[in-house]
Amino acid sequence: MAQPQSDPVVALSNVRKTYDLGGVVEALADVSLTLDRGSYAAVMGPSGSGKSTLLNLVGGLDTPTEGAVTVGGRDLSTATESERATVRGSDVGFVFQTFNLMPRLTAVENVALPLVFDGWSRTDRRERARELLADVGLTDRTDHRPSELSGGQRQRVAIARALAPTPQIILADEPTGNIDTETGDRIMDLLDDLHEAGNTILLVTHERHIAEHADRIVHVRDGVVERIETVTA
Amino acid sequence: MDPQESLRIAARSIRSHKLRSTLTVIGVVIGIASVVTFATFGASVKADVVGNVAGSGANNVYVFGQPADEEGFEQALQPVFTEHDVEQIAAMEGVQTVIPRGTVQVNSVTHSGDTVALQQVTATVPATVTNDSVVEGRAFRSGANETVVNEAAAASFAQNVTVGDRITVARSNETWTLTVVGIVNGTAGELPIGGFGPDPRVYVPTDPYYDTVVESPNQGVRQRAYPQLTVVADPVETLTVTERVESYLGADADARQLAPDGIELVARTSGDFAEEISDVIEQITRFVTGIAVIALVVGAIGIANIMLVSVTERTREIGIMKAVGARNRDVMELFLLEATLLGTGGALLGLPLGLAVGWAATRYAEVGFALAPTWSVLAVLVGVLVGVVAGLYPAWRAARVDPIDALRYE
Repeated sequence: MAQPQSDPVVALSNVRKTYDLGGVVEALADVSLTLDRGSYAAVMGPSGSGKSTLLNLVGGLDTPTEGAVTVGGRDLSTATESERATVRGSDVGFVFQTFNLMPRLTAVENVALPLVFDGWSRTDRRERARELLADVGLTDRTDHRPSELSGGQRQRVAIARALAPTPQIILADEPTGNIDTETGDRIMDLLDDLHEAGNTILLVTHERHIAEHADRIVHVRDGVVERIETVTA
Repeated sequence: MDPQESLRIAARSIRSHKLRSTLTVIGVVIGIASVVTFATFGASVKADVVGNVAGSGANNVYVFGQPADEEGFEQALQPVFTEHDVEQIAAMEGVQTVIPRGTVQVNSVTHSGDTVALQQVTATVPATVTNDSVVEGRAFRSGANETVVNEAAAASFAQNVTVGDRITVARSNETWTLTVVGIVNGTAGELPIGGFGPDPRVYVPTDPYYDTVVESPNQGVRQRAYPQLTVVADPVETLTVTERVESYLGADADARQLAPDGIELVARTSGDFAEEISDVIEQITRFVTGIAVIALVVGAIGIANIMLVSVTERTREIGIMKAVGARNRDVMELFLLEATLLGTGGALLGLPLGLAVGWAATRYAEVGFALAPTWSVLAVLVGVLVGVVAGLYPAWRAARVDPIDALRYE
């Protein structure tokens, strides 16, 4: 599958991230990592290991203290807030543990939301959102609000939303953390399908069996990459 | 971002908190409505009073003394216009007649056994009674034992005074018995600033009842002298007559030499009075409307308050929007738009309400209704502006929300 010349979608080089919470806390010490187009990587580590920070940096929600984070050729460490917003809206798609859907918007409106900030017309947004909801198997739930959907359905809406702007990479943060095992398995199947279809995925989890869906498992501990394990199917 | 979508999102958040939004809008409505009400009512009263003043005796020129500064009001009522002045002014081109007016101190007036205390009666000439002002009867004749009373005076006795009745006026050293020949609702000689509800007035002929005399500097003889004259001019010559009278007063009038220091002799038309009165009413209106603006400020605080609550409540939603590509500017725009909608809603509802209440107030006060267009437009603009200003800080807070914290926020 991997092409001879690597085509990195995301590259972190010597990234350090500290927070000033009274004292200086080092979330990431020195992380270098490359994610090629079409790859599927899982970041594993205990809580507090820095895996969420890593995801936030790749997603443009945060900026590194030192080092460079490149997403789709754009260096986020020097990007302005507005440029990072554009990256969040069009280059990455987030899938959260707690779904993070807008409570007052219907499924189709939630899926279309990133396209609002990306400047799509209303008709185009609707059409695209309906297609995506059909892709994740929610054709008959388009006009329901999140409170009227099950956990699994909500996560499907969130995945459809992540796909809406055709992102370069999908960032999934414990996507099965808030749903039962069986439903979680189906969500993971969906992510597998998306990977098959050529999407680049970065998954954060602390569960081994979830991480094994990826091609590579990046083990993070105390803010450094401990080792990178290749998963054999 | 797409302005239509922004509007839709903002409208949706307003609708999702119906009661809260309604109460906030009511705050603004009250503010805008009070401003519009007071401004409208003020404009109506002004139009009405000024219309009355300007309409009554537009060709009358009122001549009197007024203090150059605020003091010396008593001196302003000094009898300085002599019969000589009256004759000189009456002889001027464009002058139809001159109505001198003075007061005679009395103690009481009796009619059919009912005695009413009265401090003064007005001594003047028959010309003061005009066709417009006569309710019943006619003017008194000079030199006769006749009197004319106004409606307020006629009604102040146990038995209403009617034409042909006799009244007795008691002074400290004499008593006059007079026949009432006319009842009026005003006179030409009166200054057009009587205010609301006229006082009871009894009019008597200067001959023989006016006894204030001074020595005329020009004639060297003692003559009757009056504190106020009303010059009835040819309608087309009112302005030139005013100028002529003023230049006479400034040159060789008896009054100029008789007037005490600090008293300025002036000739005013009813238009001048109308202007002065309108200035006064306008000032009062501005003051009262200014107080109403406080209500508007309270309304603005209401918007700011509810928007701050809204930002806190929707922290997580702000985080989600930012995670899917909203820029700080987009978030700011959404919240600002929401506040502006609340302000605009309040303004659009407050304007008609204010006009309605203002109209009702004019009905109640029995004055004609007049619009205050400047204030009304201003009130709506201020309502919108109130929304923008009140929304600025909350919107800025919303824009600064850190998406990472917000997404963790429960």
